[in-house]
Amino acid sequence: MSDKAYAVLGIFDTPNALMQAIPKARAAKLGTVEAYTPYPIHGIDEALGLRKSPLGGMVLVMGVLGALVTLGGQYWISAIDYPIITGGKSAGSWEAFIPIMFEVTVLFATFTAGLGMLFLLNKLPFFGHPVLSSKAITGITRDRYALALEAEDESFDSAAAAQVLREAGALEVEVLPAPDRSPFLTSAFILRTLGGIFTACLVSGLAMFFLTKWFPLLAPMKHMQDQPRLNAQKGSTFFKDGHGMQLPVAGTVARGYLPTATGTQEAAATLVNPLPRTKEVFALGRKAYANRCEVCHGAIGNGMGSLTAAYGGKAANLQAQQFRDYPDGKIYWVLVNGKNNMPSHAPYLTVDERWAVVHYVRALQRAQNAKDEDLKVVVR
Amino acid sequence: MSSNKHASTLLWGATGIGALGVLGTYAAAGHERFWANWVLWFVLMFTLGLGALFIVALEHLVSARWSVPIRRIPERVATLLLPAIPVGLIALFALPVLYPGTRPEAAQNHILAGKAFWLSVPFFSVRTLIAFGLCLLGLAVLVGGSLKQDTTKDPSFNFRARKFAPAFMAIFALVVTMVAFDWISGLTPEWYSDILGVYVFAGAFLGGLAATTLAVLYLQNQDRLQGVQGDHLYNLGAFLFAFTVFWSYIGFAQYMLMWYANFPDEVIYYKVRLTGSWRVITIALASLHFILPFFALVTRAAKKDPKRLRRVAYLMLFAHVLDMYWLIFPILGKPLFSWPELSFALFFLGGILLWLRGAMEKGEDMPVGDPFLREGLEFRL
Amino acid sequence: MHPEAAIPTNAIPEGLLEPALYVGKVTPGGLDDQVLAFPETRPPKQWYFALAITLTAALIGVGCIGYTFYLGIGAWGNTSPVFWAFDIINFVFWVGIGHAGTLISAILFLFRKRWRNAIARFAEAMTIFAVICAVIFPLIHVGRPWLAYWLFPYPNQRALWTNFRSPLLWDVFAVNTYFSVSLMFWYLGLIPDIASMRDRTTSKLRKLLYTALALGWRGAATHWQHYEKAYLLLAGLATGLVLSVHSVVSFDFATSVVPGWHMTIFPPYFVAGAIFAGFAMVVIVLVVVRETMELKNLITDRHLDVMNKVILAMSCIMGYSYMMEGFTAWYSMNEYLHRGFMNIITGTYGWAGCITISCNILIPQILWFKKARTSYFWMILVAIGVTIGMWFERFVIIVISLHQDYLPSAWRIYRPTLVDFGILLGTFGIFFTLVLLFARVLPVIATTEVKAILPDAQPTHGGSHE
Repeated sequence: MSDKAYAVLGIFDTPNALMQAIPKARAAKLGTVEAYTPYPIHGIDEALGLRKSPLGGMVLVMGVLGALVTLGGQYWISAIDYPIITGGKSAGSWEAFIPIMFEVTVLFATFTAGLGMLFLLNKLPFFGHPVLSSKAITGITRDRYALALEAEDESFDSAAAAQVLREAGALEVEVLPAPDRSPFLTSAFILRTLGGIFTACLVSGLAMFFLTKWFPLLAPMKHMQDQPRLNAQKGSTFFKDGHGMQLPVAGTVARGYLPTATGTQEAAATLVNPLPRTKEVFALGRKAYANRCEVCHGAIGNGMGSLTAAYGGKAANLQAQQFRDYPDGKIYWVLVNGKNNMPSHAPYLTVDERWAVVHYVRALQRAQNAKDEDLKVVVR
Repeated sequence: MSSNKHASTLLWGATGIGALGVLGTYAAAGHERFWANWVLWFVLMFTLGLGALFIVALEHLVSARWSVPIRRIPERVATLLLPAIPVGLIALFALPVLYPGTRPEAAQNHILAGKAFWLSVPFFSVRTLIAFGLCLLGLAVLVGGSLKQDTTKDPSFNFRARKFAPAFMAIFALVVTMVAFDWISGLTPEWYSDILGVYVFAGAFLGGLAATTLAVLYLQNQDRLQGVQGDHLYNLGAFLFAFTVFWSYIGFAQYMLMWYANFPDEVIYYKVRLTGSWRVITIALASLHFILPFFALVTRAAKKDPKRLRRVAYLMLFAHVLDMYWLIFPILGKPLFSWPELSFALFFLGGILLWLRGAMEKGEDMPVGDPFLREGLEFRL
Repeated sequence: MHPEAAIPTNAIPEGLLEPALYVGKVTPGGLDDQVLAFPETRPPKQWYFALAITLTAALIGVGCIGYTFYLGIGAWGNTSPVFWAFDIINFVFWVGIGHAGTLISAILFLFRKRWRNAIARFAEAMTIFAVICAVIFPLIHVGRPWLAYWLFPYPNQRALWTNFRSPLLWDVFAVNTYFSVSLMFWYLGLIPDIASMRDRTTSKLRKLLYTALALGWRGAATHWQHYEKAYLLLAGLATGLVLSVHSVVSFDFATSVVPGWHMTIFPPYFVAGAIFAGFAMVVIVLVVVRETMELKNLITDRHLDVMNKVILAMSCIMGYSYMMEGFTAWYSMNEYLHRGFMNIITGTYGWAGCITISCNILIPQILWFKKARTSYFWMILVAIGVTIGMWFERFVIIVISLHQDYLPSAWRIYRPTLVDFGILLGTFGIFFTLVLLFARVLPVIATTEVKAILPDAQPTHGGSHE
């Protein structure tokens, strides 16, 4: 170790003594004058000739920046990227953006003030400063006031500095050796660093994997997959019959499926088709007929559906005179109640669909027995 | 001294010309307009005086020391309450003209009919008179006692003021709420907002503070406040800054809640003020009462700078006038500003300044009898 | 006339003088030995006993929260139309408790009220612990707390953004900012004290810990300069923040159209109420701390006296707010508002309204008497009363307003479950556990700040006096 010194510390026991020593130490012009105190001393900035702290300006700039960023961001999100009207307010209503704007402004400003002070201006954390390993430090953070003459270059004369401080009234003087600047990029150091980085990556990678893959599927967090409810096809001890799904009460009818023709077929003859003969009704009737009737009664209603061909079932030939003479109501009755082998279609066709089918059957019958005036209709 | 005389003549002249205009307004521009102007200036004088008296009481309440050397200034400004009382008594004649709750048609309106007694002229007048009485009490104890202490040097005043200050705060809260609900909200009696008292308080305090700051700077220029220096000014600036923010906070809170809930009986208030020409005035109010003073005073140096402080204080006083104008004038329809308003401004400003010039000579310039004066003068940040 | 000549030379009368900020002789070194020694000594038996109680309470709370996770929100009494119940009551309550800390550390700092220095550290710590307790509630109320990060606006594959027009989102920002800023403020204040502890401790482990936490603080004048500036700026910012946070919390209610919630006075009234409840909590804790930790010379009767005065002032402001609420309910001639207000006193939950008014407005009036302000019995009675009263005030606002609004067919009575009470108890346990731990691990008094206001701590500028 050479006798090169980083600084010379003079210890004082009152702030007054410290303040009186500062001008003397500065006048000696031996090095940078710095004070170390347990708490801030009023007026020491001027005594040491420190420049004003730039923190206020930094905070103002960052605060304004935070305000603008948040206002712009909220406007962009709410009015441009994802405009949704809620509560009858326009998408870009600025009033609603003020609270968050204020909060983020404060957040930006405080982090600038706090972290900017620590990291940027005071260059902390710094654990290797010579004062921290001095004997005086226990006093400095307790009740002693230290004045330091810090070396500015090689020519620093620690003996002269110690003399100046002693003359200025220092009770004790301590010479701080310059920090040992041995090369630190040794192979062991590089290995340790790389090993450390590798371990950190490995640990955080594994942690992320478990956090995202495994942790979210643990007991309480199963995204409502496990719900205490009845499943339609599962048994249940809750009901007497042991089924999860229960039959509706006898006589239950779904809306729009009222069985309107409940009497005999003859009684139904008086029913009148409530639907007009419009394009839409025919389209509805055609769709329903194709879905539910065509398989037996055939595409033109002649009773030669694909089921007849395959299995020899005998469906009614709707083109027969008997059916051509049926009033609408009787056809409707059959749709609702079924006849012979034909089951009821009431559960599958709504009231409107049934009547539309009746219209459509009428159209099929007319098409097979067209008269001259029908052609005129087409021509016109 | 001659310039002083000169200024005095000028003020008397302005007041005289203003008085002619005021009379002309009554004769030519309609009674509604006359009384709206009259109520505006009454509320302004009253809130300025109240704000100043609040500053005095606050010092006693929290045992502040720094403000002792300048306490005489708000005490003098608070005497504005004295001329405000006759102005207010005359303003009572505005009730049948401007205040819908006092008119016979109010009986048909089910909202107004329910509180007809509250809005009626007699009860309204009684409340106002009680408020005046309470203010006089406050003036007598806080200002009168302090003036007396100049000669007696009796510290018992400090004990009394300290005891009285909490009671005055209660008085102050009631009086300010009365001004807000009767004189201001009474113009639109179907509308209600329970924060209005706090809003008027914030404006009044700012107004009183700005007037105090201006008077302090004026006396300091004349070398009459030796020992009052940058650190005292800094505190005044800091208070101006803080209460600018407070006023905006209260104003924004009221606006935002009404805007958000969108109740028809509430938003009508802002609907009037945010459409047509009133919109421009609302934006001007927000800028002059908040944005401009905020950025003018945000730095530490600005709060100590007498030049900057003087400008901001003028701005604050103007913004306070604008604020009250914004509260009162929309009942007349479009924003009116022409010779009647100018002459009222001339008359009342001239009168207020003449009064304050007189008041500035009351007692010593500092409360020399106060045992804490030395401590106050030694105040450093 | 030169005023100097007129200044009275007579001494300031006894009754006007403010009592000293500490009792007896306090030196910087003695202060360190008194305050910083706590973390280095073994805690007394009572401390373990207290910790056992608070930990038990905390564990009950954690258990109830776990049960809520397991079962879902159905474990609580929340029901239609009282969808917001204990969770938001407790949230508002705890956020409010925190406000006293910020008031003491920031606002009183700006007003240069020196009595704050001795109690600021504790109050700030309580702010942080209270906010920790507060954030538990919105977090568990979202139902699936492990997805709570959805509350933040971030680009995501769902292509969704948060709704910036929702006051609940404002809350997320406000409370997070509040926590971060309070933590920053607290930590900055702690750094010089931790540096002191680093330099006096003999234990290796502590040395390592404090060295890391102190960030190499060495008390350089150049550092202090920026540090003081930063502290001042933080105080200013925190002052604005403390107003905004509880205002934003009040917006949760006041922006709605529920009668009893939509009040324009809510923002300042919530802030005042928060400071009120927070001060009461600080008084309770301070009394215990100064008795058990023998800090009577630093936390004096004067501190308690001033704190109780603040409580009294806040109580009066609350009284004004209640009065305005009632007055507006009448003045508006709005039958919903009117009924909503009457419900507070005469409704099913009228007892809660009566507790609120008597605990918040009537009981604290005893503090007008100086005797009461310095007597443990009365101040603790008032402080506990205020804590209860302020909790019930939120109960009144939330439950009473919600259980009967515009639609009488939807009116229903709300009954909390044992789980609700368990979680409330748990947050008290968590809060006091953290307070107990703090009292033994970190300096409970900001020694650096107190050192700076001791006599002879500051150089005299050639002046003749003192």
